[in-house]
Amino acid sequence: MLEFAAWVESTQISKTLFGMSWLWPACESLHFIGLCMLIGGAGLLDLRLMGMFRGVPIRHVKAMMPWAIGGFLINAGTGALFLTMQPHLYLSSAVWWSKVAFIVVAAANALFFETRLAPSALSMGDNADTPRVMKVVGACSLISWFAVLYCGRMLPYLGTGN
Amino acid sequence: MAFFRSLQDSAFTEWFLGSASIWTYPTVLTLHTVGMAILVGASFVIHLRVLQVARDVPLRRLLPLYRFIWIGFAINLLSGLILFVTEAADRIADPVFYVKMASIAAALWLGVIVKRRTIDRPGAPDVTTGLSRSMAAASLALWTIAIVAGRLMAYLKSAA
Repeated sequence: MLEFAAWVESTQISKTLFGMSWLWPACESLHFIGLCMLIGGAGLLDLRLMGMFRGVPIRHVKAMMPWAIGGFLINAGTGALFLTMQPHLYLSSAVWWSKVAFIVVAAANALFFETRLAPSALSMGDNADTPRVMKVVGACSLISWFAVLYCGRMLPYLGTGN
Repeated sequence: MAFFRSLQDSAFTEWFLGSASIWTYPTVLTLHTVGMAILVGASFVIHLRVLQVARDVPLRRLLPLYRFIWIGFAINLLSGLILFVTEAADRIADPVFYVKMASIAAALWLGVIVKRRTIDRPGAPDVTTGLSRSMAAASLALWTIAIVAGRLMAYLKSAA
């Protein structure tokens, strides 16, 4: 893995991108904006699945999801740029790998919802309470995304030997 | 100015920034990001709805999101105050800091006006007016400015 990091760092594209001093702060700003879109949009659906916001039909909340997915894509794109510019920083960090693991959990959870629960969720009444499995899926999503945020923000500080 | 310098050079600042513990600066910084996600995330959803995204969601039912807005704001006011103390002299002389504060104040104010116009008014129609939509769009733009300004401050600090 560290050989891979060394190879990425040796490429012209990595050097060129890292040489643009404005690119890193610009990507950070976009990464923060993307996270607000993702947690805002997905969070409303998660809370509804957990039984809050009764009166908001689940099938209508789903119309917000393209914006949440847009936020995720902004963050995947800027994240890929960070990784290209400073591969060692991330690939050698257990905190970064934990972040990736939480993204996988959140994605698997969303996939489970889409394939197994969405049909019944979308046909539920506007005020209907959700079954326990949906409450668990909603909570799992919310916890995973905040764990992703936590790992990302704490990456420079956690596991540094302190 | 001397007051802000004394805050920045205080024993508290020295302990807060110098401590090797993750529970001081890193945790407060992370709380500031968590608060931002809650505050701006909830604002984003409300303003998207006012801009007619997911227009079948009854606007009035989104009222509890304002509770999240104020919780996120409280977290960030508190964590922000602590972060400010530790760099008070730098920030008080930093124009970007004032841009951030003004954007937040204006974005919140617009959010409250949008709430009064579209959610609080009894029997308010679910199709929002052009003025409410403009205010929602402006509020989202101001949150974006606040986030970018906040990020830039970290770079101006290391240059100082």
